[in-house]
Amino acid sequence: MTAAGPVIPNFGQGSSCVTGDHLFCWDWVRQHWGDTLEPHLVQHVELTVIAVSIGFVLALALALVSHRVRGLDQPIAITAGLIYTIPSLVAFQILIAFSGLSTTTVEIPLVGYSLVILYPNITAGLRSAPPEVLEAARGMGLTQRQVLTRVELPLALPAIIGGLRIAVVSTVAIATIAALVGDRGLGYPIFLAMGLPTPFKTEIYSAGVLVVALALSLDLVLVTARRTLVRWVR
Amino acid sequence: MGALIFDTANAHTFFEAFRFIGDHPGFLATKALEQLELSGAALGIGAAAALPVGIVLGHLHRGSTIAIGASILGRALPSILLIAVFLTWLGIGFVNNMAALAVLATGPMLTNAYDGVDGVDRDVTDAARGMGMSRLQILGRVELPLALPLLFTGIRVAAITVVATAPIAAIAGGGGLGDVIVNQASYRLEGVLGASYCVMALSAGVWVALLALQKAMTPRGLRSNRRPTAFSIHGVPPEGDFL
Amino acid sequence: MIRKHTRRAAKAAFAISLGVAIVLGLFAGTARPAANAGPAIVIGTKNFPEEYILGELYKQALVAKGFSVMNKGSLGSTELIQTALTSGKINFYPEYTGVIVQVVFHHNFSGNSAAATTKLARKLEAGKGFTVLNATPFFDTDVVAVTNATAKKYGLKSISDLKKVGSFKFAAFPECQTRTTCLVGYKKQYGLTNVTFVPLASISAYTLLDQGKVLAADVFSTDPPLGKNSKYTVLADPKHVTGFQNVVPIVKTSVAQAAGSSFANTVNAVSAKLTQNAIVAMNKAVIVDKQSPATVARLFLQANHLV
Repeated sequence: MTAAGPVIPNFGQGSSCVTGDHLFCWDWVRQHWGDTLEPHLVQHVELTVIAVSIGFVLALALALVSHRVRGLDQPIAITAGLIYTIPSLVAFQILIAFSGLSTTTVEIPLVGYSLVILYPNITAGLRSAPPEVLEAARGMGLTQRQVLTRVELPLALPAIIGGLRIAVVSTVAIATIAALVGDRGLGYPIFLAMGLPTPFKTEIYSAGVLVVALALSLDLVLVTARRTLVRWVR
Repeated sequence: MGALIFDTANAHTFFEAFRFIGDHPGFLATKALEQLELSGAALGIGAAAALPVGIVLGHLHRGSTIAIGASILGRALPSILLIAVFLTWLGIGFVNNMAALAVLATGPMLTNAYDGVDGVDRDVTDAARGMGMSRLQILGRVELPLALPLLFTGIRVAAITVVATAPIAAIAGGGGLGDVIVNQASYRLEGVLGASYCVMALSAGVWVALLALQKAMTPRGLRSNRRPTAFSIHGVPPEGDFL
Repeated sequence: MIRKHTRRAAKAAFAISLGVAIVLGLFAGTARPAANAGPAIVIGTKNFPEEYILGELYKQALVAKGFSVMNKGSLGSTELIQTALTSGKINFYPEYTGVIVQVVFHHNFSGNSAAATTKLARKLEAGKGFTVLNATPFFDTDVVAVTNATAKKYGLKSISDLKKVGSFKFAAFPECQTRTTCLVGYKKQYGLTNVTFVPLASISAYTLLDQGKVLAADVFSTDPPLGKNSKYTVLADPKHVTGFQNVVPIVKTSVAQAAGSSFANTVNAVSAKLTQNAIVAMNKAVIVDKQSPATVARLFLQANHLV
């Protein structure tokens, strides 16, 4: 019954920067990049990519459908608008009851918001083809599908990529709230650091910088992609 | 796993939430007012910062990068991060949350103010200059009235962004309906849902009220002057430079 | 409607089905139980550092013995994590014995001793289909703290002294407001009136005390800020309102049985090593020295040959 007392190892004293609550502690960042910052960054990227990809596929499908069946546009747009008004905090809590504490619970609202952002942009892009160009294309004997793939979609590219940019940046930001559903994404270190007896500035700032840097770099990637794609398509 | 099977106890909750609202009208009203107070203050500060900058830059037809950048940055900054950062600078309470929400409000307002003033037809401003108007007169009597629709859209978008984001401020003492939404332990899912119905209604109300205000403030002669661009088809404010 | 033979419709159909396939794939992916070593253990923790450490300690020890374990991380207070447990979203979490008896099962009194409380908790949970494993040597009770300056100003030594203050603000996690081990008990046993309750969401009570937003707060006895040279004064609780609070892992009985005796032995071996000194040292490492709970847990388990 009397086991030997435990060995209490040296856990590594925080530097005076950390314990003294200084503005920013590079040593902490270097020390904890691997066990705290990097894993959550990777999770965050995964969350974003999955959400925007699925949202894009769904938005494209809906846009193509409503492009041909005019009556559908208003109802879809209104539903989309309604989805956007649901605060993400609440969406997560409702979904936990149905899909548990899983990535699915987190992804459903994120996909929803991406869809809501992408749908109007894709639709607007599809409609941006000047009527003269469409007439000329049809006059040249192109089928409806060929008009779509050779004229309307290429002309819609700037709008689609514009929408993707907004969707990606917004999703990166909203995904921070995913931390409420458990340990995933860069929001988690921010929450933990906020809740300490003295909120831990370095962790908040470094996770924050990573989130913003992620959003801006993905935006940059899309801007570059647009230039390349538009040139290639023309 | 049964993830797609709705638990009947929980489907019921959506309707129980209305009963929660019915049972606690005074409490929810107080919370809603708190939230409007916080949102209004944040919007005011954001407008004071964003509108002058956007209008001046638009008038000078300079700094489009700043305008677009403000938009992108506004979207890229998570509300939680802003709250956490201001918490470390300003402590807990009204001011810290107001500052965080104000930062979120500036993006749409700056960009739209810039777009609105910058986008005024050059022929019109040239004509005005030709008539001998000073820069200030051009700005006040020509550019601003014509820019009003976009300006107001920016304010509207910023307003509902702030109102809809305010609940999260409850985690740092921001008060408002968020106090219920982050506190499922005390109010149960019915309460959380009830409070969020209120938030959604509040956002819709703010949108409608500001739209009405805009209509009332737009000079009659300019009311049908909304240039139908691709952006305005779905009410998506002009952000991003896709055209 | 859409003409069946337009390529357009085909493209839309393809896109929709691709999207649905991805979504279903995600559902299926999360539904499949992990690997092959017995039942999947799904751990959750409450929302403060001590619990994060406990979650990691148990998870890593079990993984080392070949079990398939997921740690879902911080889920919230007792009330929320209990819902997660009873609805099957998790099947393992570390709880405090007195909290089980008085909060989960609403008894007014938890027991005359730590052992009695554990025994009662075990019996009550067993009735619901949950197994309570061995208790840790350490305990962590709620305590009421004020800043040293406040204690000096009003001459506060014990919770009943708060009557001297008149009306004051008191911060705690939301669940404290309705618990007999917390505010309800304090008010009843010490005759406190005029207490304005300030619920904590994500910010620490110490932050509120430091900024003068509240006069007193409910904190935990193993918190590092209460250690040596503390800026805070802990008020005495002679009527023992906060009860006995050793930690016990609660596990769904069917899962524990399926996992076998080596499961219980592994968990109990970890619990046995968690003395007051050990947990306070680990809390300090996470809260003060800002180490990650996972690393602190790993170092402790390694030093004690539990991984």
